[in-house]
Amino acid sequence: MIADTDLDHNGGPRRSRPLPSLSRGAANGDVRPIAAWVLAAAMYFVYAGLQPGTLSVGEIGTIVGTALPLAILALGEGIVILTAGVDLSVGGLLSLGTAIAATHFTSAGATAEWSVIILAIGLAAGVVNGILVGVLGLQPFIVTLATWSIYDGIALYVLPLEGGSVPTGYANWISGDVAHIPNPVIVLVVAAVVWLWFKETRVARRILAVGSDREGARMAGVSLGRTTTVAYALSGLCAAGAALFYVMLTASGDPTAGDSLILPAVAAVVIGGTSLFGGQGGFIGTIAGVLILTLVGDVVFVLHLPSYSSVLAQGLLLIIAVVLGGYLRSVQTRRKERSQ
Amino acid sequence: MSSLTRSFARNRSVVLAYALVVVLLVAGEIVTAGFLSPDHVDELVITSAFIALVALGQTFVILSGGIDLSIPWVLNGSAVLLTTWAHDDSLRMIWLVPVLLVVGGVIGALNGLGITLFKIPPIIMTLGMSSVVEGGLLLYTNGGSGTQAPGAAVYLATHRWGSFPVIAALWLGLLVVATIVLASTSFGRRLYATGLNKRVAAFSGVSVQAATISVYVISGVCAALAGIVLAGYVGSTYFGMGTPYLFSSVAAVAIGGASILGGTGNFIGTTAGALALAVLAALLPILGLQQSALEIVYGLVILVAVTLSSGKLGGRRAAE
Repeated sequence: MIADTDLDHNGGPRRSRPLPSLSRGAANGDVRPIAAWVLAAAMYFVYAGLQPGTLSVGEIGTIVGTALPLAILALGEGIVILTAGVDLSVGGLLSLGTAIAATHFTSAGATAEWSVIILAIGLAAGVVNGILVGVLGLQPFIVTLATWSIYDGIALYVLPLEGGSVPTGYANWISGDVAHIPNPVIVLVVAAVVWLWFKETRVARRILAVGSDREGARMAGVSLGRTTTVAYALSGLCAAGAALFYVMLTASGDPTAGDSLILPAVAAVVIGGTSLFGGQGGFIGTIAGVLILTLVGDVVFVLHLPSYSSVLAQGLLLIIAVVLGGYLRSVQTRRKERSQ
Repeated sequence: MSSLTRSFARNRSVVLAYALVVVLLVAGEIVTAGFLSPDHVDELVITSAFIALVALGQTFVILSGGIDLSIPWVLNGSAVLLTTWAHDDSLRMIWLVPVLLVVGGVIGALNGLGITLFKIPPIIMTLGMSSVVEGGLLLYTNGGSGTQAPGAAVYLATHRWGSFPVIAALWLGLLVVATIVLASTSFGRRLYATGLNKRVAAFSGVSVQAATISVYVISGVCAALAGIVLAGYVGSTYFGMGTPYLFSSVAAVAIGGASILGGTGNFIGTTAGALALAVLAALLPILGLQQSALEIVYGLVILVAVTLSSGKLGGRRAAE
C-alpha cells in the first residue's frame, strides 16, 4: 500500500525530480558576474596606471592578501544568500575568531590547536543559526541579528579591548609566496577550485533548489531544515576561516572587527551577481565583488580622495548593485516570457 | 471571561513587559540598597529615554514588517552635526533642531523609496544607507567629531523639574501621541494592515507605499532627535556613539511584545522594553557582569521574542 504522502499532485508515486544545477545561470548568459570581473579589472588598471610600479605579481598578492578575509567571509555569505537568506552573524563570528586567536595563539602548537577550535566554534555557531532558520522557520535577518549580538558579546568577553597578538611567523605567512606565487593568491585559487567542485555536489544543488523554489524543492524530496542548516553551517565555518586570515593582517585581535565587514560581505556577493532572492549566482562572481570593494580603497587613495570615501562608496555600490540586479532580473524574465 | 481578564489576555505581552521592569527594579534594590532611590531612578529613566526614542521609530518600522539598521549612524550624524554647527551656542538650536530632524526624515524617506520603488529588501537598503551616512558624515567632518554640546541640549537631556527629568516629559508626550496615532487614526490602521499582509492591505485600498515610506521617515526623525539629546547627555560627541542603539532598539521592541514579523505591537509595550533594558544595563555591572553580557542578553531577548511571535502567528493561522 502506498502512503498518502508518497503520492504527487496527480496521485502517481512521487519520483525525485532532477535538481537544478548552479551552472545553469552561466548557460543562460547571466552577464552580472562577467560585468563584475570587467569592472574589477578596469579598477585595477586605473589604480596601476595612476600608481607607477603596481602592475606586478607582488602588488596583486598584496591586494588579494588585503581582500582575503572578506573573500572567505563572502564565500559563506554567498551560500546563505543562495538559499534566499542572509547571515548578519558573520560579523560577530569574525570578531570572536580574532579575539580567540589574539589571546590563545601563543606558540606554533597552540596556533594549530586553537585554529581548529576556532573553525569548530564557527561551524557550531553556524549550525545554531541554521537550526533556528531552517528547522524552526524563523526569519533569517532577525535570527542572525540576534546571534550577531550574542557572538559579539562573547568576543567582548574573550577580549574586552583591541589587543593581544599572534606569532610573527604566523602573521607573515600572508605576505609570503610559493614559487613566486603569493600565498593569498594560492588560497583564493584553492577556494575557487573547492567552490567549483562544491557547486556540482548534491548538497549545493539542494541549496540552490531551496533558494529558487522552496515548495518545488520540498516536493522533490529536499529536506528544507537540513539543507538550510548546512548552508548556515558553511557560512559560520567560512567566517571563522576569515578570522584566521584577518589576524594575519592585523597581527592582533579586535572584538568589533567583524561589524564593519558585514556590509562588504553582503555587497561583494550582490555585486558579483548573486541574487538576493536566492537560487542564482556563485563564488566566482563574488571574488570580483570582493576585489572591486577592496580596490575602491586603493583607487580612492591614488585619486587623493579622503579615505572615508570608500565607506560611502561601499554603501552606494551595494544599493546600486541591488537595483541593477533587480532590473536585469526583470529584463531576463520578460525576455524568457517572450521567447516562450 | 470578565472584561479585566479579557483585556489582560489581549495585552498579555505588554503587561508581562511591565512586570519584567518591576521584577528587575526589585532585584536591583535587593542586590544593592539605593537602587530605587529617587536619584538613581531618575538616572535609569534618562538612560532608558534614549533607547525609547530610537525604539519609537523602530516600533513603527517593525509594525510595518520592516527593519531599520541605519538608526545608529543617523543618530550619530545628528549628534555630530549638532555639536559641529552649534558652536556651543544654544540660540542656534532654534534652527538646528528642525534642520537635523528634517535631515533624519529625508534619510528615512530615501530608505522608504528604495524599499518601495526599487523593491530592495529593508535590511539591505538600510544597511547600505547606514554605510552611506557614515561615509558621508566622516567626509563632511573630516573625521573630527565636533566639540561641546550646546547648553540647551544638555538641559533637555539632563535637567530635572524637581525630580522629574525634562526628557521624561518629552518621552511621555511622544508616548501619548504615538499611542493615539497607532490606536485611533486611519494611518495607524493602515500601518497595522500593511504589517499583517501587504497584498491584502493593498487590495483593501491601503497605499502600502505611502505607509512604508512614512514609517522610515518617522524612524529617521526619531533617530535624529535621539542624537540631539544623547549629545546633550554625553556633553560631547564621538564616532560610534550610535552603535549600541541598533541592538537595543530592536530588543526594546521585541520585549514590548510587538511581532517581529509586523502587524502587532504598540509603543506602550516598547516603553516597557526600553525601561527593562536600561534597568538591566544598570544591574549587570553590579552583578559583576560586563558589557559583553549585555550584548548576549540583547541577542537572547530578540531570539526569544521572535520565537514567541512566530509561534503566535502559527496559532492565529491555525485558528482561521
